[in-house]
Amino acid sequence: MTVAAGIGYALVALGPSLSLFIAVISKRPFLILTLLSSTLVWLISLIILSGIWRAFLPLNSTTWWPFAILIFTSIAFQEGLRLLFWKVYKRLEDILDAFADRVSKPRLYLTDKMQIALAGGLGHGVAHAVFFCLSLLTPAFGPATYFVDRCSQIPFFLVSAIIALAFVTVHTFSMVIAFNGYAEGNKVDQLFVPSVHLAAGMMTLINFAYGGCVIGIPLLFLMAILTVMHCGRMVWRRLSESQRQVDS
Amino acid sequence: MESSILESIGQEIIGVMSPVSLCMLLVVLLVYSLSDSNPFSSSSAPIRTAANLVYLENPSDSTAQKLEGALLNALVFVILIAIVTFVLVLLYYYNFTNFLKNYMRFSAFFVLGTMGGSIFLSIIQHFSIPIDSITCFLLLFNYTIVGVLSMFSGGMPIVLRQGYMVSLGIIVATWFTKLPEWTTWVLLVALALYDLVAVLAPGGPLKLLVELASSRDEELPALVYEARPTVSRNEGNPRSTLGLLVAGVSDSGSVELQAVSNNNVRRDGAENRRSPEYTAIQVRNSENVEGERNRDEGERSPLVGHSRERYSSDSNSSEYSTVIHNRESETSVDEEMSPLVDLLGMDNEREHERRDSVVASRGIKLGLGDFVFYSVLVGRAAMYDLMTVYACYLAIISGLGCTLILLSVCHRALPALPISITLGVIFYFLTRLLMEPFVVGMATNLMMF
Repeated sequence: MTVAAGIGYALVALGPSLSLFIAVISKRPFLILTLLSSTLVWLISLIILSGIWRAFLPLNSTTWWPFAILIFTSIAFQEGLRLLFWKVYKRLEDILDAFADRVSKPRLYLTDKMQIALAGGLGHGVAHAVFFCLSLLTPAFGPATYFVDRCSQIPFFLVSAIIALAFVTVHTFSMVIAFNGYAEGNKVDQLFVPSVHLAAGMMTLINFAYGGCVIGIPLLFLMAILTVMHCGRMVWRRLSESQRQVDS
Repeated sequence: MESSILESIGQEIIGVMSPVSLCMLLVVLLVYSLSDSNPFSSSSAPIRTAANLVYLENPSDSTAQKLEGALLNALVFVILIAIVTFVLVLLYYYNFTNFLKNYMRFSAFFVLGTMGGSIFLSIIQHFSIPIDSITCFLLLFNYTIVGVLSMFSGGMPIVLRQGYMVSLGIIVATWFTKLPEWTTWVLLVALALYDLVAVLAPGGPLKLLVELASSRDEELPALVYEARPTVSRNEGNPRSTLGLLVAGVSDSGSVELQAVSNNNVRRDGAENRRSPEYTAIQVRNSENVEGERNRDEGERSPLVGHSRERYSSDSNSSEYSTVIHNRESETSVDEEMSPLVDLLGMDNEREHERRDSVVASRGIKLGLGDFVFYSVLVGRAAMYDLMTVYACYLAIISGLGCTLILLSVCHRALPALPISITLGVIFYFLTRLLMEPFVVGMATNLMMF
């Protein structure tokens, strides 16, 4: 039963990513490599951040503003890293195109580019879920569960799994939006991504209040749904545009 | 829609990474489930092996004592390994091949039978699986015999062979995780250093072994995992893509590395399952264009009717063929061990073979030792926390990726341990010291980003 509960928590957090991985990523070795490297990038960013913040830990758990500063700096750092990731990707795309020319295969399709972005985003999301949820799940396989004071309605593992699910979604699809925004030079999309990330991060601050998770988690999922819808609209628009170009 | 290039790039890397990942995953699961059953017995009866001959770690010892003992242990173990490897090379040099083969069969039998058997026993005990001793013995015996046969004789499906390689790695790695903590870490670092020296230094035993094996055109007398491509038969040649991609990255200067794949050979070689792979290195100087086509060993069937526009193709039954293509004239040199290869100063070595991973005619090869010590690192990390496991896994896999990319640049045997182990150890301690308090402090307050 406890093992079942642990696996259940893990699947709540990572189930959608798992199906995405099996359906899209696993068939193409290059996407797997992209996913792994983006996971590694996220891990390195987390290590750097924790190295910076190590001196101030443990934070006083009665005041909320140090956490706000922490989340703000972390998100700013990670969004900066996303820009770097984009630069590297841009170079990679050129190399891939040159390679495709050399072996006389077609260049990267629009869907290919989007899939690479998706793999990169999924890497970020999976890394988030793994380090913030899965790695704390070890006690969940044992014969007990754990509640935190501030959110005493549901077990801690379930809350963290649900929050991780929201963040996986945000991370995964915001990478697609961001890459597309950079490629098109679309200012709205470029700004949309950091603001969604920041808003989602700040919404976890609501959990700080007693019983705040009842309000915070639905808001978080609102952000996730917003991201997915924006991404879906954008992809639809791009695909129909390119279809029109092919037709005409 | 035509298939895009994303389908073919990186297949060879994934072909090596997936068994390594599988091995690590299973070792972590084993360590987890088995250490749960008796949390206190691991400290009560530490085992005595070759890896802790000198010093037996005691939890109450001081740090300096532990470090000193661990260093001594690692030194003794590495010296033992070096001696054994040298003996192996000597035996191979004097052509005791049969003895070597039988010895390896015996040791594989022994490892699968006894060490595997004891692991199975503890699994049976832990999950209290109802099974009688005769059935268990019969199953174990069959498992062992099939393992020995599949590893050392042809005619077995490659999947079975790969599966047994992975399971051998799992068994040995699970045993190594029973070593005490300090000894494990020092041992891993020492082995990475030893690997570096043994493969790259001029008199290194593994370098000697690889060179001997390739000059005799034989299999390496060692346990080596082969990532044989399974998809390549119907479509193109995925193995050359890595070299090409790297060439695209690094084609500055006058030397251009170019791997040319040959699809028509594959098409007519119906019974030629081990289709050769051609690697052409073009060195473009300002005056002349020299093309060297290098055929790897392991190819014995004559090739008829293979032609490319610029190369003459009369290379039947030769081991290596060197084609020098000058402005006007085409000369084709056709002899075994062509000295011209060295005279011309090609940056391509005659053998592409390496101990750890080989871009030869049969795909990349990874020594079983690398499997074992990657898994030992991850298994050791699993005893601390899951977080360190993920960090170490990512570090090791990225180190392996770096090694494979280096391999396609250097075309020679490379040690697979140093980069991965270094990264793995660094990430383990960074995660344990820096990241864990950070993440736990954030997550228990339900703050995430």
